[in-house]
Amino acid sequence: MRTADTIQQGEVAIIDKILPSELTLNLMEMGFLPGKRISLLQRAPLKDPMAFRLGNTVIALRKTEAQLIEVILEN
Amino acid sequence: MPEVLTPEKLSTFTVALIGNPNVGKTTIFNRLTGLRQKVGNYPGVTVDKRYASLKIGNQSATIIDLPGTYSIYPNSEDEVIVHRVLNGLDKTSKPDFVLAVVDMSSMERGLFLVTQIMDLGLPMAVVLNMSDTAEEQGIKVKTHQLYKALGVPVIQTNARSNKGISGITDLIGDQMFEQPASFLESDRLLPEQLSTAIQERFSLTNSYQAYQLIRFHDKEPILSHEESEWLRQEIKGADFDIKSKQLQETQDRYAAIQQVLETVVEKTDMKKKRLTDKLDRIFLHKVGGYAIFLGILLMIFQAVFAWSAMPMDLIDGFFASLSASVAGLLPEGVLTDLITEGIIPGIGGVVIFIPQIALLFAFLGILEDTGYMSRVVFLMDRVMRPFGLNGKSVVPLISGIACAIPGIMATRNIGNWKDRLITIMVTPLMSCSARLPVYVILIGIAVPATNIGPFNLQALVMLGMYLLGVIAVLVTAWVLKLVLNFKERSYLMVEMPLFRVPRWKDVLITMYSKSKTFVFEAGKVILAISIVLWVLASYGPSGAREEAIAAVEVPADGASEEVMLDYQHNLESAELESSYIGIAGQFIEPAIRPLGYDWKIGIALITSFAAREVFVSTMATLYSVGSEVEDELTIQEKLKSEVNPNTGEAVFNLATAISLMVFYAFAMQCMSTLAVVYRETKGWKWPLIQTIYMTVLAYVSAFIAYQLFS
Repeated sequence: MRTADTIQQGEVAIIDKILPSELTLNLMEMGFLPGKRISLLQRAPLKDPMAFRLGNTVIALRKTEAQLIEVILEN
Repeated sequence: MPEVLTPEKLSTFTVALIGNPNVGKTTIFNRLTGLRQKVGNYPGVTVDKRYASLKIGNQSATIIDLPGTYSIYPNSEDEVIVHRVLNGLDKTSKPDFVLAVVDMSSMERGLFLVTQIMDLGLPMAVVLNMSDTAEEQGIKVKTHQLYKALGVPVIQTNARSNKGISGITDLIGDQMFEQPASFLESDRLLPEQLSTAIQERFSLTNSYQAYQLIRFHDKEPILSHEESEWLRQEIKGADFDIKSKQLQETQDRYAAIQQVLETVVEKTDMKKKRLTDKLDRIFLHKVGGYAIFLGILLMIFQAVFAWSAMPMDLIDGFFASLSASVAGLLPEGVLTDLITEGIIPGIGGVVIFIPQIALLFAFLGILEDTGYMSRVVFLMDRVMRPFGLNGKSVVPLISGIACAIPGIMATRNIGNWKDRLITIMVTPLMSCSARLPVYVILIGIAVPATNIGPFNLQALVMLGMYLLGVIAVLVTAWVLKLVLNFKERSYLMVEMPLFRVPRWKDVLITMYSKSKTFVFEAGKVILAISIVLWVLASYGPSGAREEAIAAVEVPADGASEEVMLDYQHNLESAELESSYIGIAGQFIEPAIRPLGYDWKIGIALITSFAAREVFVSTMATLYSVGSEVEDELTIQEKLKSEVNPNTGEAVFNLATAISLMVFYAFAMQCMSTLAVVYRETKGWKWPLIQTIYMTVLAYVSAFIAYQLFS
């Protein structure tokens, strides 16, 4: 299973599951929910953090947080 | 027949503005309240509470602007405030009504918070803001349908263009808030038996409040020991696990919201690329992004120094002549001396900051308002991490250039404690605007205004002082990261809002209110110290003063003017030396001599431990005491001409000036900062550690600087 940190620019993925951790709730409250489409917008210059497009919002996460989001690539 | 007027009782009520970050809450607040705003503190905490009274008809409404939050379960300290206000834990700011603001283009997340508030049972109304961006993205909302689904009034607005604001005013005036039915069925949250028991015991009105109490009973000191013990037993008895329940609640809530949205939102897919995405390619570019950030910082500095120079000169001159003309107007006497030599120069020393502070706050306001600040967080996160800081630390640190206090308060949105604590500990090392006049005066005295290549030497030294602060921040943070052994996980989740044109009116409001707060807060301290200082400088232990004066050799009759001036000077010096403050200065002189300071500078060091800006007013007071004010000499010129009576050399040579600047760059000379750190860290431990490390750092660095340059 891929996690969100492996999404490449131009790819669109569907969130499958948020892995259990102390940040699960925070991620869900910000809108990272199973079934939502997510894409990578920008990677910060040192490859971390990453800015994800989620619906109409852009949210920056570090690699370690992105690894909590399991995704299935579209197509 | 004359009309009989019966005085109507003014009904007063409180409305709290709540919403996710970046949904335009503050714009709505500013539109509603304009310049009537006041800044206060939430009881027990130091985060700014912005509120304003609004008269609508014969009613008076207090509007409170709450920090942005994604849910009523707080993650950061900022969000704790929302939780406390909503649950009535802060008795003074419990709202009668809630005005929930939702970004129309991300309704799902906005409604998450809205429905939580609904379940708490507070009378409320919903504002769907930013209708313009929603429309651009092909989103249409059937407001009436949404009203039917939620059971609370819904207004569509676009606060930036003032659209719909009058609707909000009418809604508040008519108190059209409605208390909705619960959004989630209560049996999804709590077993009925447990819910009923808790509601009865704590006289709550619904299941969600009981649920909240379970969630927070160990975090809030609201329950007595006996009560929380009872609660624990009940939870255990019902075999209830709040953590898994909360995940369940989150999923159920989103699912229910999804159902509502299907009926109220019409979406046409627009393939148009957003301008923000294009701009982000530039602003977040690997190289270009940093270049732009650096460029913006440089521009701010340039502006703050260049643009404020003229008004500052004017203010300086104004207070010098004010002092002189007041001295001419009032009869000679102790009171006049106090006013012209203590109070006026003291106040002048604060007022002179206004241009620089206002400009700094204006720029910070613009950066925040355009949405650029969160890009800075994104750019800087990885860079700051090795130092134990985080992208969000950059905002407090940049604010620290204006003043450490808003900077330290801005750390509240850093979610994890370790990153936040380190940021709090190092923020006062940033060269705040209170250090500026100290630098300006000392550089003016000691550094020649020559050019090195295209650069002005004085400007380079000033830049050096700021860089010194930044270096100290990074090194200290790195050391703290090694020393402090926290297990807490560091994380970063930050939303990057759309790029926007700044709302100039809002920038002006921020600029005005922040400068006002700063000047009045600092002004109080400075005024008090100025008066005390003047008294201590004008009086001394009985006998000592007379002896000192008698010891000064009186020149023979008919001595040249030069000799008489010298005598005058010696006399003043002797008087000051024998005053209480002079004695204190001499007492600490042995300790500061290795740094290149004499006892007069010692006096300034003592007084400016309360606030750095007192240095200037102290100097103003010390060098005006007993001397003629009519000559309108500004402080800088006075200090420049100051000569050590023993050696005949200038008191402020290059080495002393540099050493003094370094001392002021690092020493913790700010009572207000200490007070804020005390409140933010909930104890004396951290402010004490901070004071000690900063003072040691200041002393050692000043010593090294003096040795290097002398």
